[in-house]
Amino acid sequence: MPALPSRAARRALLPLAASAVLLLAACSAATGDATGTTGTAASGTPVSGGTLVYASGDAEPDCLDPHVGGNYPQALIAGQYLESLVSIDDNGRIIPWLADSWEMAEDGLTWEFTLRDDVRFSDGTPLTAADVKATVEHVQDPATGSSTGYLALGKVAGVEAVSDTVARFTMTAPDSALLESLSQPWLAIESAAGIARGLDENCQAPIGTGPFAVDGWVKQDHVALVRNDNYSSPPADAAHEGPAYLEAIDWRFLPDSASRYAALQAGQVQVIDNAQPDTLAAAASAGTFTEIDAPRPGASNRLELNSGQAPFDDALVREAFIRAVDVNDGIDSLFFGTAERSYSALSSVEPLGYSDESLFGTDLKKANALLDEAGWSEKDANGIRVKDGQRLSLAFPVSTNQSIPAEQSLFEQVQATAAEAGFEVVITPLDLSSWYGALFTNDYDVVSAPYTKVGPDVLRILYHSDSITPAPSGYFANLAQLSDPELDSLLAQAASSLDADERQTLYTAAQKRILGSFTVLPLYDQQNHFLLSPTLHGARAIGTVSTPSFYDAWLSE
Amino acid sequence: MTPGSASRVAARVAGAVFVLWAVATITFFALRLIPGDPALAVLGGPGSQASPEALEQVRQQYGLDQPLAVQYAAMLGRLLSGDLGQSYALKVPVADLLGAQLPGTVLLALAALAVAWLLALALALVSTGAGRVAASLASSIELTSAALPHFWLATALIALFSTALGWFPPVSTGDLGGLVLPVLTLAVPLAGFLAAVMREGMLDALAQPFALSARARGESAIGVSLRHTIRHAAIPAVALSGWALGTLLSGAVVVETIFARPGLGRTLLQAVTARDVPVVTGVVLVVAVVYVLMTLLSDLVSALVDPRRQAVAA
Repeated sequence: MPALPSRAARRALLPLAASAVLLLAACSAATGDATGTTGTAASGTPVSGGTLVYASGDAEPDCLDPHVGGNYPQALIAGQYLESLVSIDDNGRIIPWLADSWEMAEDGLTWEFTLRDDVRFSDGTPLTAADVKATVEHVQDPATGSSTGYLALGKVAGVEAVSDTVARFTMTAPDSALLESLSQPWLAIESAAGIARGLDENCQAPIGTGPFAVDGWVKQDHVALVRNDNYSSPPADAAHEGPAYLEAIDWRFLPDSASRYAALQAGQVQVIDNAQPDTLAAAASAGTFTEIDAPRPGASNRLELNSGQAPFDDALVREAFIRAVDVNDGIDSLFFGTAERSYSALSSVEPLGYSDESLFGTDLKKANALLDEAGWSEKDANGIRVKDGQRLSLAFPVSTNQSIPAEQSLFEQVQATAAEAGFEVVITPLDLSSWYGALFTNDYDVVSAPYTKVGPDVLRILYHSDSITPAPSGYFANLAQLSDPELDSLLAQAASSLDADERQTLYTAAQKRILGSFTVLPLYDQQNHFLLSPTLHGARAIGTVSTPSFYDAWLSE
Repeated sequence: MTPGSASRVAARVAGAVFVLWAVATITFFALRLIPGDPALAVLGGPGSQASPEALEQVRQQYGLDQPLAVQYAAMLGRLLSGDLGQSYALKVPVADLLGAQLPGTVLLALAALAVAWLLALALALVSTGAGRVAASLASSIELTSAALPHFWLATALIALFSTALGWFPPVSTGDLGGLVLPVLTLAVPLAGFLAAVMREGMLDALAQPFALSARARGESAIGVSLRHTIRHAAIPAVALSGWALGTLLSGAVVVETIFARPGLGRTLLQAVTARDVPVVTGVVLVVAVVYVLMTLLSDLVSALVDPRRQAVAA
């Protein structure tokens, strides 16, 4: 099976055509375009000034500093005022950002990053290596409560400011994912002076080098962002230099999907995120708005089958489940063509993703034969298979915070099609905390848990057997409970392999083992759709974790 | 004040304190009985993975490592000293948070109550004494509007008045125009309830001998309604208004979310989702206080409107 073609161009900007059919056509056209320009077609000369109103459907962050905790809603907004050492372009290549250049020692145990010498924070102080050191120490300090950034710095022993412009990272082991990790907004560089103000103050308004700065935060309403007039550090793939065109961004929280779209239609806002499939279909037929389709990196959205306990400890039963459920019809009818079926454990924007459609074809006859072979040959009065007095019942806790309504409906389709082979799937919708609780007490057989991270190292977090051992908190990331020594060894080698070709070979082999274990049923990329008003130009999603950038953006009348 | 009325007041106050204690206790245990670790809720947004160190930190910071009884006692102690505590998620004092969100919700609820009263009065006045068809028409309007769910009405009003007609903005941004649709969403179902009880009160009053004698003195039908029967209509509606404000506060959860208005309802929803115990307790207590106060107030107003009750009270 071939590896996935680099589909970084999936982070594409689609002019919404007059019909859903045209939408699909535009989508495939954009897929072929790898020129790297994802900006809104620059119609006319950019105009300075104006306030952009952004409507976010994500949860309002508790803290505007993404070092604290570290989730996607924080990444969305932090991208406006914080920047990272490196970025990633549309082809998935690492490009310079706050660091001009970097060099790794041959043993992979030290890295030296040379910073740009002309960058100032929004408070006017210059960026130096001391700020990089302060950032890493802040993330690694348990008192900060960092989760995402903390895990990504697992192999970093410390940072030393060699000079004002050179920061030296010391590693405990070679880390092939270091640059990918550092590109993430959860490890964005903050001012040492800002961090020194203490957690509470820093949460209200972190100080970064980004094109905008936090000017105020009215809880449950909006965050006011103003242009950073000192700005001088666009990433290497930006379209212009100097300060941003927009004077300000009014970042509002609009939790209801229908009112978000209504606000866009009424011209109250110029961008909405978390556009749902029905909204996208409506927007496609209206033809007024532009869509940015920017799948998140890291893992695809997928069902994990818990191989750590019966009945999925039997590979035959896992394969039977995967052969029994029909996902494609559900995706077609529930997502209106806005989501493309995935056959990979990784997002389609990951250059090292490997895909194998042949493993996931629906085949009810084969499913039945596999279950018979596994000893689940009898059925009870309800058509559910039985073995030794046990019913073939699967617990499926669903997080209503993480699964959008279309996805929850898709899970009901999974339930219905699995029933045809004699599986009883018990779906339990839960709030986030109860859902975590169900996972920690091993009270699940099927689960969908998104994971956003830049690069294929996400596979180590999700499928290395070390990730089965629960932390003191009860948390473990390997929800498939896949325990395969050969896979462990492939993932460990890949994580420390400093040779690009060898790394690719190792990750491909690892993904073959993961998909072949039938513990994973890929669904689609983590959906991430934005709708833009026709008055907004030059907005794009950046190649790290697919968050929007409004640095090149401007408003026309 | 007579000794009798003093003891009645004392009983009311004791009752109110009991209600507040019960509300705080039920909220505390209900939130703790749900499976799941509150420390994870503090740290875990979608896709974020809490490290053990971070969790331990949070547990110590918020006393979550203490036995439940100790946590409960600590919470009661804090409440008694007037301290609502610190939000787990937002890391600010709950009192500050609620203080900032209360005015928006109170404005919304009072405006909705006022509009509901106007709508209900108008409907009751127009439909009484206007014949059997008008009465049954009014009755079905009341039933239908009382049965409208807030989320449906909100979406329908946005589709009609924002998307189709463009008269009012779909989301609130602080100006008065943005208040119209949220207020209507809350007022229309409530008006249905109020109109039903008002109309009944007026019909009863119109059937009384005093209404007939007023007509016999030469007063017009409208005159009788405005001068006499309206009082009878108001009595049950005033009594209902305490309860109504309670339903408006719960309706605010839906309305504030759909129209993206900052306020107590949205705070409550967010806090429940995040398992933010101090904030949930705080909001529930504030709502309980409002409820208790409104019930007292509507008792007082009923006594003012209804001379019979004044005689009894005196």
